[in-house]
Amino acid sequence: MSKDNSIYTPQDSSPLPPKDAEVITTACDYCIVACGYKAYRWPVGKDGGPKAADNAFGVDFPTNLLQAWVAPTQHNTVMHNGKKHNIVVIPDKDATVINKGGDSSIRGGLLAQKLYNPDTATADRLQKPLVRVNGELQPTSWEDALDIAAAVAKHVIKKHGANAYSAKQYSYQFVENTYALSKFFKRHINTAAYTFHDTPSDVTSTPGFRDAGYDNFGPSYDDWANADTLMVCGTDPYETKTILFTQYLMPALAKGQKVIMLNPRETAGVAHTKKYGGLHLQIFPGTDTLVVGAITRVILENGWEDKKWVEKWVNNKWGSSSGFGQGTRNTPWQWRSTWGKFQTKGFEDYKKWLLSQDEYKAENAAKVAGIDAADIKKAAEWMAKPKDGKHPKTSIGIEKGFYWSNNTGNTNAISSLATTVGAGGRPGQMVGRFGGHQRGGTGGGSYPRAKSPEKVPGRRKRALDTDRWLVSGHTRLAHVVGTTWIQSMTGTGGLHKKFHELVVANPNQVKSKNKDDIIKTLKARADSGGMVVINHDIYLRDPIGAKFADIVFPAATWGEEDFIRANGERRLRLYQKLADAPGEAKPDWWIIGQMATRMGFDGFDWKNSNEVAEESSRFSRGNRKAYHMIKIAAHIEGKTLHEKLREYGTEGIQGPTTYNYKTGKLYGCKRLHNTEMTQEKCKDRGQNQGANMANKKMTHFNSQTGRINIQKHPWGLYSDIWEFVSPKDDELWHTNGRINEIWQTGFDDRQRRSYIKQRWPYQFVEIHPEDAKKRGIESGDKVLVYSDRVPVHKDTIHGVGGKDFQFSELKKKGHIELIKGAFEAVALVTTVIKQGVLFSDALNTEQPSNAVQARVVDNISGNYNYKLGSAKIKKIGESEYKNEFKHMSFVPRNIVTKT
Amino acid sequence: MSELNKLKTEIKESVIHEQKDECETAESHNSCMMNRREFMLFGSAAIVSASTISLSLLPGGAHAGEAKAQVAGYPRLKIAKLSELKDNKVVDFQYPDKKKGSQCTLVKMGVEAGGGIGDKKDIVAFSTLCTHQGGPLMGTYQATDEHRTLGPCPLHLSLYDLRRHGIVASGQAYQSIPQVLLEVDGDDIYAVGMMGLLFGRHKNLLDA
Repeated sequence: MSKDNSIYTPQDSSPLPPKDAEVITTACDYCIVACGYKAYRWPVGKDGGPKAADNAFGVDFPTNLLQAWVAPTQHNTVMHNGKKHNIVVIPDKDATVINKGGDSSIRGGLLAQKLYNPDTATADRLQKPLVRVNGELQPTSWEDALDIAAAVAKHVIKKHGANAYSAKQYSYQFVENTYALSKFFKRHINTAAYTFHDTPSDVTSTPGFRDAGYDNFGPSYDDWANADTLMVCGTDPYETKTILFTQYLMPALAKGQKVIMLNPRETAGVAHTKKYGGLHLQIFPGTDTLVVGAITRVILENGWEDKKWVEKWVNNKWGSSSGFGQGTRNTPWQWRSTWGKFQTKGFEDYKKWLLSQDEYKAENAAKVAGIDAADIKKAAEWMAKPKDGKHPKTSIGIEKGFYWSNNTGNTNAISSLATTVGAGGRPGQMVGRFGGHQRGGTGGGSYPRAKSPEKVPGRRKRALDTDRWLVSGHTRLAHVVGTTWIQSMTGTGGLHKKFHELVVANPNQVKSKNKDDIIKTLKARADSGGMVVINHDIYLRDPIGAKFADIVFPAATWGEEDFIRANGERRLRLYQKLADAPGEAKPDWWIIGQMATRMGFDGFDWKNSNEVAEESSRFSRGNRKAYHMIKIAAHIEGKTLHEKLREYGTEGIQGPTTYNYKTGKLYGCKRLHNTEMTQEKCKDRGQNQGANMANKKMTHFNSQTGRINIQKHPWGLYSDIWEFVSPKDDELWHTNGRINEIWQTGFDDRQRRSYIKQRWPYQFVEIHPEDAKKRGIESGDKVLVYSDRVPVHKDTIHGVGGKDFQFSELKKKGHIELIKGAFEAVALVTTVIKQGVLFSDALNTEQPSNAVQARVVDNISGNYNYKLGSAKIKKIGESEYKNEFKHMSFVPRNIVTKT
Repeated sequence: MSELNKLKTEIKESVIHEQKDECETAESHNSCMMNRREFMLFGSAAIVSASTISLSLLPGGAHAGEAKAQVAGYPRLKIAKLSELKDNKVVDFQYPDKKKGSQCTLVKMGVEAGGGIGDKKDIVAFSTLCTHQGGPLMGTYQATDEHRTLGPCPLHLSLYDLRRHGIVASGQAYQSIPQVLLEVDGDDIYAVGMMGLLFGRHKNLLDA
């Protein structure tokens, strides 16, 4: 590999692991699918040979199609127990689940390069704690860094209250870490100013699912494959959960599955689906609710709903208002919708409502969404029209392009469509999220909602919006773990400005290396109305670490410790340690444990990762990836939780797990809401024994009755902000998302893998040829995407009247400020994107495209609608990539083979 | 950037040095090949004019067909005739040997490409085994507007941009589709080397 990492120099050989190489199982660190991988590790200088008898794969090289092979980019050298080793990380060729036969994406395929090697672009991994003195981050000891952090934290809580301590952490980075962090932030600090990497407040991502009773991750991957009709909303699984597409959807398509894709882009998976007769509803951003509602309406107009299912599984008037003990007033549903905005008296009531809303007429919805009304009718037919008296088996999967466009409206509408077609609780008939990050969260404490100063109308508290809290000047200590915070949130520019004002522009800056002086200065900063920033990460991120952090803790990550995590079908695996962590980097559970102990909290003195996992397991009981019974089984067998899970290799086991004490057998759970699961089967699985927890979600739905709440999805709650954002004059819609080659902010790949850097050296923006022509833009041109009217909600307020959080009311009362936002990009002129819409990489940290997205939370749920934005675009010159052949590619992603 | 410049200088010096000493001899070695590969990707006009190796390989090279250096250990195989090529019609061949995984394709694309030879620098050649899982890419060459692609692979849809050294345009491959280095001698086109590891092999040049 060349030293310069902007161009990958192709190699023409790679070392093979010898017969006696150590084989260690793990799973991919990136997308939700979490393919199984094997790492082959051996001391340098002992390579294997091309004969089957001489290599660890047991195959002759050259190998055949689909057999083991090592691309040069899949090899690395690492330190293991202080000695240099070769390591090859390739997808598990023996896998029978997920990436069957060893399939992989371009992200996971290059996992070996994630591992620290000072001769590669990983050389800048954080290796020592840093503290900022005279504006520069300087290495210090763990002892000093932790003492400073603990002293300042204690002071802030004592003097300014727990809510002045704002915590922002990843939700997914392994159960050991999320448990330790949330135990510290929620149970011990007990701050309401707490949230995760992808939301300004600790709220559900899919309010409509939650309120209907659908779990986000109920389906198994086989369910997506076994549907007759599959509706895919707000994502192209090929781009963002690749193996779900290649191993499950592609074979299903080939066998005649009907697939409906709802999103504004025609990427490779969409193009392939169309080639197989699939339907692409290429809509304008934010119009999903209308289109989904219109599909449901066509179904109802034709009487195609699954009447038996509805009869048995949908709450009627009494069920809708009933509750377990406390009544529905205390369910999250009612907390969000006290005024009956969503609640119905049952299916007929919903039908009556929907048929009375003119915007859901196919022609009207199609017009606003920019699609053909005939396609809405076709979708309805595919999803619900009975053939020979039988309803098609229909499943529905959604992801962020959908639920982050109109968070409440879209998730309500899709839940009602799912209910109408009988999706939700049977094989091949499921509804859920496809997923983004893997599922690695275990709660170590509960969110102190009562302490949240934010109130929505009625006597209802809402989880605090940490961005607005910070912008309002209430945050005195920001503790940021494994997220960039600023670029990940919308209206990025304003947030950046406020961080600068509170941290850098505050007069209390550390000038001395003396620990006591540092503590004194940072306390003074907090007391003066400024803010102190603590950051944990694996690399120094800009600006959160590089410009704003006062203390930086170096974290150990994937492959540097044994960790547990689940994928998008709740499949739990042990992600094993493969190599030494760089320098003094430590896992976040250790860092937080040390800080907590210094603050006088007990219960943080774990000695290893397994101890944390074992303590956390009982907090997983009742949740979708419950792993408590694995520990019970392990202890009965004289093993640790980690040891037991290691035995499950790359196959793992699907949560929630149950254990039959009599037979000694552990059971996974293929799908949630399994309405075909019998009492006998539950008994076999030991669900009535010992520590097993028979949760409602396993055989029924997550609602007050175990049946589904069918809900209204009034367009009027959202139409004001949609109309405000919709393009005016020369503006175009702007939306953003993930792309195949880049994982998240690109910390591993776009920034550090020379090949991916070469492919994507700069932020890009897709623009339709017609839109480009009008503006004189060609592929490869450098463009500015900008808006002078990015709406941001700036105040933490108490809602009193019913409409107080409605966008038009906020605007009327002066809570909305219009700020400027802009980013630069290289134009890709392509028919991949719908005319009238721009699309860019959501998480390019150098040119953050969230800068032009509205920072106004969904008025019901509290989530951002990240995908809703509009902007102008103009050429500012030609990029260096326009007229050379080394970097990037302007090839459209929707090319298919001609048949 | 200083690293890149340093590297360019190193390449420039080593290319000038090595191509005279070794690249033109039968005993050329892999470091020379490495330089050729890096040269192709990093090469600038300044380097080109200072070099006497196969300039026709280089994007923007001004002296096509001038030199005939052999490339590090790779055979020099005549694979096609300029006069017989037609725009967007592929010519299949095997390289660097006739063993497993050697299927390649040559095409005159009608548009300039990185590493292209001929007057229009539009003649390129690539492996036709997908570098993801070894899927067959034969017959998947396409011209779409100004774009020239190989793929999508029938297995997992990887698509390669042939104007840009076979970089992955969309898909899952771990590296670009290996590009065959070409030279022109009169009307004859020779394959002289390879950028990137062929799928299924642990090294391109197998032991006999």
